[in-house]
Amino acid sequence: MGIPAMMYLWPAARGGSTNVEVEGAIDLKPGRSKTLQVGSKAVIVVRERSGFLAFSAVCTHLGCLVKWDADSKKFLCPCHAAVFDGNGKVVSGPPPAPLEAYVVKEIGDKVYVAPPA
Amino acid sequence: MGFSKVIRSFLDDRFDTKLAGDLINKQVYKRLPPHTGWAHVFGSLALVLFLSQTVTGILLLMYYRPTPDEAHASIQFITGEAKFGWLYRQVHAWGATLMIASVLFHMIRTYFMGAYKKPRELTWVTGVLLFIGTIGFGFTGYLLPWNQVAFWATTVGTDSASKVPYIGDWLQYFLRGGDAVGAETLSRFFVVHVIILPWILLGTVAVHLFLMRLNNLATMERVGEEKPTPRECGIPFFPVHVAKEAVVMVLLVAVLVTLSVVSPWEIGEPANPLMTPPHIKPEWYFLPSYQLLKYFEGSSGALLGILACSVPFALLIFWPFLDRGKERHPRKRPLAVSVGILGLTAAVFLGYLGHISETDVTFFGQKYHITLMGWPEKITGDVGASPPLIDH
Ligand code: HEM
Ligand code: FES
Repeated sequence: MGIPAMMYLWPAARGGSTNVEVEGAIDLKPGRSKTLQVGSKAVIVVRERSGFLAFSAVCTHLGCLVKWDADSKKFLCPCHAAVFDGNGKVVSGPPPAPLEAYVVKEIGDKVYVAPPA
Repeated sequence: MGFSKVIRSFLDDRFDTKLAGDLINKQVYKRLPPHTGWAHVFGSLALVLFLSQTVTGILLLMYYRPTPDEAHASIQFITGEAKFGWLYRQVHAWGATLMIASVLFHMIRTYFMGAYKKPRELTWVTGVLLFIGTIGFGFTGYLLPWNQVAFWATTVGTDSASKVPYIGDWLQYFLRGGDAVGAETLSRFFVVHVIILPWILLGTVAVHLFLMRLNNLATMERVGEEKPTPRECGIPFFPVHVAKEAVVMVLLVAVLVTLSVVSPWEIGEPANPLMTPPHIKPEWYFLPSYQLLKYFEGSSGALLGILACSVPFALLIFWPFLDRGKERHPRKRPLAVSVGILGLTAAVFLGYLGHISETDVTFFGQKYHITLMGWPEKITGDVGASPPLIDH
């Protein structure tokens, strides 16, 4: 009785999408960012002069979503004031780990992001 | 034959009504110890609030819809369209806060009066379980309106669960029903809030009350030296204590309706999973743990933080088995009373810091910005005093 019930209650994976198109990415101005849903996770895509950066927007502290601050080129978390640099590394604040990097693919004038393999 | 006589003889023909009547009378006219007074009403207050939550909760359920697309709009429908819906929602939301407060006061009363001591240890343990269940109601109910604060407070709250050693990630995934707070989380919280917790609480309340009646209320005598209260000095449960309870119930209705009208809960913005609003704080009863968790940083700190927040609960549960002193009177229990006062003060202080953190306050004419950690920083000029992302 108990074991099937536990298995039933264990969340069934709802096939996460691998490559997700970042709509309107090509129109983003350098320094601008966009947050989108990839599978069940929020991902932040930043347009830099040299191309695109993509990280999981989920702060590794307690799960709030970071924002991109174009002036300082840092990701800031609104919840407990964490700061991450442009590579996702923790600069200050409570998070125990860097932001998870996503893979960016530019194909023609379309931009796709995918979770790290 | 009058109608009541017909019923009476119908019952008499089928049951031993004298036995039943004696059992009921024994409970109703029971004598309570002489010190039973106003401090003893919080238990029944919590019970009445539980009943009120059940009734208002069932009424809300008629129109509430537990899906991300419909939840927020259904609450708007309840408060805006359904007749008196605003009142039921307000009485339910305020009732939640008052229920937690009543349970707390009830615990404080039994703690300081030493009522948890032998032979009533299990009554206390079931009481702590009721306290945890009530907090569970608050945590799961809070998400149901699916607004921004609820969504993000739940995100942070369930994320804290991932810091539990070994099973943390598993626990978080299980609570959320997936990686992030979403439709599955709402269904899970809904089922726990309206089905699982109500039945668990009902059963635990029954055991709690049964044990309470079985052992009678505690007197102030030493453990093992309690004498049954003689009839002439006992306080009759009915009508004397029941009258006090009735007075408190009338006050309760007045307070609930006043709060609902004067200080209504807002519905807030619908949840947006792609935008975290600034300054999300939990409900007042989570503020002490919320603030405490902030002082623990990094991966090892997170573990310590979880410990720091769960040790008080473990202490509460096992307290009657740790404090085996025979005295009940607070004046004769300096250690237990000091521990109690210290714990309460710490909780109130942390809660207050949590409440004022990330806001500006004025003490004696001087403006301060209270940081995340709760430290005051003098505000001299009015430009650039606060960090860039946080808008006041
Ligand atoms: C026992 C049966 C109960 C049922 C059937 C029930 C049902 C519901 C429903 C349908 C909602 C969503 C509507 C709304 O948000 O206003 C809700 C919300 C809520 N419930 Fe309950 N509830 C029960 C007991 C409790 C208890 C005992 C507590 C707390 C001690 C509680 C605390 C809350 C809270 C804090 C909310 C959010 C209120 C708001 O923001 O409007 N509930 N409940
Ligand atoms: S959730 Fe980002 S700093 Fe706490």
